[in-house]
Amino acid sequence: MSASAVVFEEVSKFYGDVLGVNLVTLNIPPGITSLVGPNGSGKTTLMNLMTGLIHPDHGRILMRGISPRDPESLMRITGYATQYDTAPRWATGFTFITTGLRLYGYGRAEAEEKAWKALERLGLTEAATRKVAAYSKGMRQRVRLAQAIAHDPELLVLDEPLNGLDPLVRAETIDLFRAWAAEGKHVILSSHVLQEVDIISDQVVLIANGMIMAEGTIRDVRDEIEEHPSQYFVHCRDASGVAALLFGEDHITEIRLHDDGKGLLVMTRDRERFARALGRIALDGHPIDGVVPADENVDALYEYLIGGE
Amino acid sequence: MAVYKRGYRRYRGPLTGPWERFMVLPRHAWGRLYQQRLVILLTVLAMVWPVLCAGFIYLTNHAELLQGLDKEFRQFIQVDGRFFSIFMYVQAGFAVFLAALAGPGLIAPDLANNALPLYFSRPLTRWSYALARLIVLVGMLSVVTWIPGLILFGLQVGLAGGWWFWSNWTLGAGMIAGFVLWLLVLSLVAMASSAYVKWRVVAGAVSLAFFFILTGVAEMINNVFRVNWGHVIDPAWAVNQVWCALLGVAPPEGPGAVPSALALAVLMVLLAAVIERRLRPVEIVT
Repeated sequence: MSASAVVFEEVSKFYGDVLGVNLVTLNIPPGITSLVGPNGSGKTTLMNLMTGLIHPDHGRILMRGISPRDPESLMRITGYATQYDTAPRWATGFTFITTGLRLYGYGRAEAEEKAWKALERLGLTEAATRKVAAYSKGMRQRVRLAQAIAHDPELLVLDEPLNGLDPLVRAETIDLFRAWAAEGKHVILSSHVLQEVDIISDQVVLIANGMIMAEGTIRDVRDEIEEHPSQYFVHCRDASGVAALLFGEDHITEIRLHDDGKGLLVMTRDRERFARALGRIALDGHPIDGVVPADENVDALYEYLIGGE
Repeated sequence: MAVYKRGYRRYRGPLTGPWERFMVLPRHAWGRLYQQRLVILLTVLAMVWPVLCAGFIYLTNHAELLQGLDKEFRQFIQVDGRFFSIFMYVQAGFAVFLAALAGPGLIAPDLANNALPLYFSRPLTRWSYALARLIVLVGMLSVVTWIPGLILFGLQVGLAGGWWFWSNWTLGAGMIAGFVLWLLVLSLVAMASSAYVKWRVVAGAVSLAFFFILTGVAEMINNVFRVNWGHVIDPAWAVNQVWCALLGVAPPEGPGAVPSALALAVLMVLLAAVIERRLRPVEIVT
C-alpha cells in the first residue's frame, strides 16, 4: 500500500438508518481527482471521512499513510474547504487566514507571511484588509480556498471549489490545481459541472447512492463500460460511402449521418476492429479527415453509470 | 510515484506549543468582546462596588476614623464572611448580565456559518473548542468577580496584618471557589443557549430566563408538594447555599450545601452534554 495514496478499504458510514457510503474501496494517487455524483450521493460524506470530521463505522482509511483518527498529524498535511461560507463576517480576509494558521501552530510572523502568500495566489491581496462581509461571492470562495492552502498542505480536499467564480478566476484556479498536482499533491474536489471535471481531472470517482460506481482515469473507466457501445465522430467528405462500408462490420451497432454530409457518428462494440475497418476504408480511397471519441468524457460516464439511477 | 518527487517539501520549521495554539481562540474572542461598548460599560460599572468595598475595608482598619461612631455599629462593620458574601452577591449579579451579553456571540455565529468543520479540520478537538469558549467567558467574568475579590482580600490582609490572614484564609479560598463555581454554571448556561439559539439577543434572553424559570419551577415544586428540596433545582439558590458553607455564613432554610453542590454538578454535566450534542463537525441527518 503506497504511503503517498489516499486509500479507502471497504469503508461504510451510516447516519442511524441512513446510508452515507457503503463498502467504499478506493486507491487515489496524487493528482487532481474529482468526486462526481448527484446530490446526496455521498460525496461530502467521503470528504468528511477523508478529513476525519466523521469516522467510518466499518473499514479503514489512510490519507497518504496517516489515519484520520490521528487528526494532529492528518491536519498538518490536509487543507479543507467546505462548500459553505464559513468565514466569520466580522473578520478581514487576512485575519481569517492568520487565525487559522495560528491554530496550526505557526508563530505570528510565519503565519502572516504564509497568509499573504495564500492571498496573493488567490488574487486577494488588495482585498486582504477588507471585511469578509464586504466580499463578493467569488471572493468569499477564494478566501475559503486561501485558508485551505495557506499552510501549504500536500492533500487538498475541496468541496465545490469552483462555484461562484467568474470565468477568469475559474481558469486561474484550475491552473493552481494543476500546479499543486504537478508538485505531487493530492487535489480531491467535488463538482457538479461535468465539463469542468472533464478538463481538470486526472482521475474521477463516480458515486451514487453511497456506492462507488467507477474510479480511475476517464479513459480507463470508459473502457470498462462494455454494455454501452463506444461512440466516435468520423470526419470525412464521403460520409454516406464510409457509412455504407462500415455497415458491413458486425461490431457496428449504429451510424448517424451529419446533416452537412461531412461526418458521421458511429457506435461500435469493438474499438480495435473499428480502427482496423477505418484503416481499410481509408486505403480503399475514402479519405478520413479525423476520428474523435464522442463519449470519453465525464458527461457520458455519468449518463451511463448514474444517469439511469 | 515520480511526480511526487517534483518539488513539494513539507514544513519543517518551528511550531508554537499546544497551549499557545489553544489560546488563539480565547485571545481573538476577548479582543472582539472588549470592542463592544456595552461590555466595557458593564465591566466598569461592576467595578464600582469593589471600590466601595475597598473603602469599607480601609475604614474598618482605621480605628481613629470610627471614633465618633456608635459602638454597636462599630462592631457591626467587620470584614468577615458576611462582608464577602454581600460582595459576592452584587458581583454575581453583574456576572449574570455580562454572561448573557457576551455568551451568545461565542458559538451561535460558528454554527450559523457552518464554521465548525473549519475549526475541526485543524488540530483542534471538539472538547478543546468548547474549553476555549468556556475560558473566554470564565476569563471575562473573572475580571469582575474573584479577581477584585482577591484584591479586596489582599487589601484586608495588608491593612489588618498577617494574623488576620492566618485566621481568615478560608474566606479568601472560599470566595474564589464559590466564584469559580458560579462562573462555571453561568458560562455553561450561556454556551448552551448560544449553541441552540441563532439570534444573539434571544440567546442572551434565554440564558437570563433560564435562572428565573428554574427559580419559579423550584418555588412551584415547594408549594405544590409542601417541601423545601425543590430549591436544589434553582441554581442561584444552590450556589448561595454552597457559598454560605464556604464563607461560614448562616444559610437559608432548605437542603444543605452538599445536596446543593450535587445538584449543581448534575446541572453542569447536563449542560456539557447539551453543548457536546450540538458541537458536531457535520450535520447528521437521521
